[in-house]
Amino acid sequence: MGTLNAALWIAAHALDVDQGALNVTSNNIANASTPGYSREVVNLTEQTPIQSGNLTFGTGVDLKNVQSVRDQILTILIAQQSTQQSGAQTQLNAMQQVQGLFSDPTSGIGASLTAFFNSINQLSTNPTDTAQRQAVITAAQNLVGSFNQTAQTLSQVQSSLNQSVANSVDQINSLTKQIAKLNAKVGQMQQLGEDPGSFLDQENQLINQLSQLTNITEIKTEHGLTLTTGDGTALVVGNQSFDLSVGNGANGMQDVFAQGQDITSTIHGGSLGGTIQVRDTNIPAILSQLNTLAGDFATSFNAAQAMGFDLNGNQGQPLFTFSAGTEAASISLATTDPDAIAASSDGAPGSNGNIVNLLAVQSQPLASGQTPTDTYANIVSTAGNMASQAQADLTASTASLNQLNDRLGSISGVSINEETANLLVYQNAFTAAARVFTTIDQLTQTLLTMGSGA
Amino acid sequence: MRVNPNFSADILQDLYQSQNQEQTTMQQMATGHLINMPSDNPAGAAALVQGKARQGQNDQFLQNTTAVEGLLQTADSTLSSVVTALNRAVTLGVQGGNDTLSDTDRQAIAQQVQGIQDQILQLANVSYQGNFVFAGTETKTPPFVADPAAPDGVTYNGNDNTNTVQIAEGRSINVNMPGDQIFQQAGGDVFGAMQHLITALQTSDTNGIGTATTELGAALNALGEQRVFYGNAINQLTSNQAFLQQEKVNLQSQENSIDAVDMAKAATDLSQAQITQNATLAALAKVLPVTLMNYLK
Repeated sequence: MGTLNAALWIAAHALDVDQGALNVTSNNIANASTPGYSREVVNLTEQTPIQSGNLTFGTGVDLKNVQSVRDQILTILIAQQSTQQSGAQTQLNAMQQVQGLFSDPTSGIGASLTAFFNSINQLSTNPTDTAQRQAVITAAQNLVGSFNQTAQTLSQVQSSLNQSVANSVDQINSLTKQIAKLNAKVGQMQQLGEDPGSFLDQENQLINQLSQLTNITEIKTEHGLTLTTGDGTALVVGNQSFDLSVGNGANGMQDVFAQGQDITSTIHGGSLGGTIQVRDTNIPAILSQLNTLAGDFATSFNAAQAMGFDLNGNQGQPLFTFSAGTEAASISLATTDPDAIAASSDGAPGSNGNIVNLLAVQSQPLASGQTPTDTYANIVSTAGNMASQAQADLTASTASLNQLNDRLGSISGVSINEETANLLVYQNAFTAAARVFTTIDQLTQTLLTMGSGA
Repeated sequence: MRVNPNFSADILQDLYQSQNQEQTTMQQMATGHLINMPSDNPAGAAALVQGKARQGQNDQFLQNTTAVEGLLQTADSTLSSVVTALNRAVTLGVQGGNDTLSDTDRQAIAQQVQGIQDQILQLANVSYQGNFVFAGTETKTPPFVADPAAPDGVTYNGNDNTNTVQIAEGRSINVNMPGDQIFQQAGGDVFGAMQHLITALQTSDTNGIGTATTELGAALNALGEQRVFYGNAINQLTSNQAFLQQEKVNLQSQENSIDAVDMAKAATDLSQAQITQNATLAALAKVLPVTLMNYLK
């Protein structure tokens, strides 16, 4: 037989459960815009019924647990896509600086090359004129200046990227330490069978930040989470973290080491990977093309000088000088004497017969197979392609990341509508349970006054 | 089906995109260039570099043409003066051969012819911008010097070399002719004929005067033939100039086809981007604040 007391306890417990549910709803609403927060749902179950004779009585409601709603696969995909996106963004930022050097077709190396050869062309109309010879020297100075400046700016961009490597490594180390600490807590809670919801949210946020720095691999084991770098070196194992370090690499740049091993070349994506890509691949590629151009051009022009005679009838001497390996940065004038331009082919001052050889450097292929202008045009398009590739990667990974975030949001995101509906449901349930409570209270009063014989 | 309740991130992304489109179009309109960074069109940016180089070279060819024209015209008009002077000398030679003249008269004529000889020597040493025009490539040394020991009374100190100047892609012209080929050619030596005429006049050798006058006439013809070189060169320059001007237009239109902004299209793109952006903003403003909460009062 059911008793009034039992009914009273059912109602009282229902009030507790509804309060608990309201608590979860309120927490969801409060965290509606907290980054990385996964919504929580309450799981309600019936209490175990009791049997009395051939009757079964329910004993009310129970709050079984509170569980956060998440999708581990999506979370991992988002981390991977964040690596892509942040790598592309870093590359784009750096390449914007680099391609800026080649953006104006009316200045820079291309324009200086044209101006230089034009000044020689002009000299052919009056090879004895000192002013025109001086104009050639000035144009040559501008040209070597353009080479030097472009090479220097590229090196500056490269060295500022280099400085940010140590910075990124510090951030990675700080993140892996925090993740290892959270890992320990999550492990403890899971052993106790509790939902480590908010700790997992925090951990996912940190892993996401880590993914924006470098490519990592996430492995879930029974001992908790293991994070490794792209080449499989451990960063976090359970509650332990392993620091990365920086040191001088073979190319004089800061390389990244994990447990004594140089892992620089295995870092792809993330701002660290993007930085290393531009520092170790993109800029060296452009610099090497520039060096080839500067070196080949200077060599060809010096050879053309040697075929003729200067204003004083002496054999033409080299006009340009450079150091091998750093041609673009080091190219300079061997002389600033206007008389040194070897315009003459017969030793007479008024001859311009060798100018045809000097001008041939402009129109004939250099040792590298193309004319100076075409070689330079190639460099411009290389820089442009690198930047537009990074831009395309960024657009694609951003779109993909948005889509993944959308999907995760549709699973884990807090919907105010849904929470408001829940709020009403639990409010009504609470009101109803309270009503039941007062009704039973009245019944009990009635029962108690039954025997007092009015 | 559950949808992502936090769609503001998506909408913001759309807003960035339309804003970006707006900025790109505005930059294109402001600069007039489609390619403002190599990444806008890497192949186009490379073509622009090559196009600018060709344009610069073409402009230089135009300047070369102008510079060379001055030299050629100086040479041509100098030779024209030489022709006038020689014609006068021929007239004087014919006059001096007249039997009615006295020796004194011939002496006087000889002096006049000597004056013309000096004038021609000066003309042959003409310079343009500090360079002797008829000296081959020895342009810093006066090419013709009076020298009594020489057979024709004048020594040539220049050389036989010529200069060429490039006036278009793959096209060059000779800009000078060595002075000895003009004034001292075999069978047409201007100075020699003048010298012979002066000597014949001074000695009243009427036969000699006739021979020398004929010789002078031949030298005049020979010089006229050489002068054609300069006339031709000037004509070539004139037609070359027209070619270069046309080439300049062609190169510019090639550049425009890669890099010039179609203003009408850009303006349309801009207003399209603005419309998209306004619509997105308006929708966002309407949608964002609306939840079930708004209806529970």
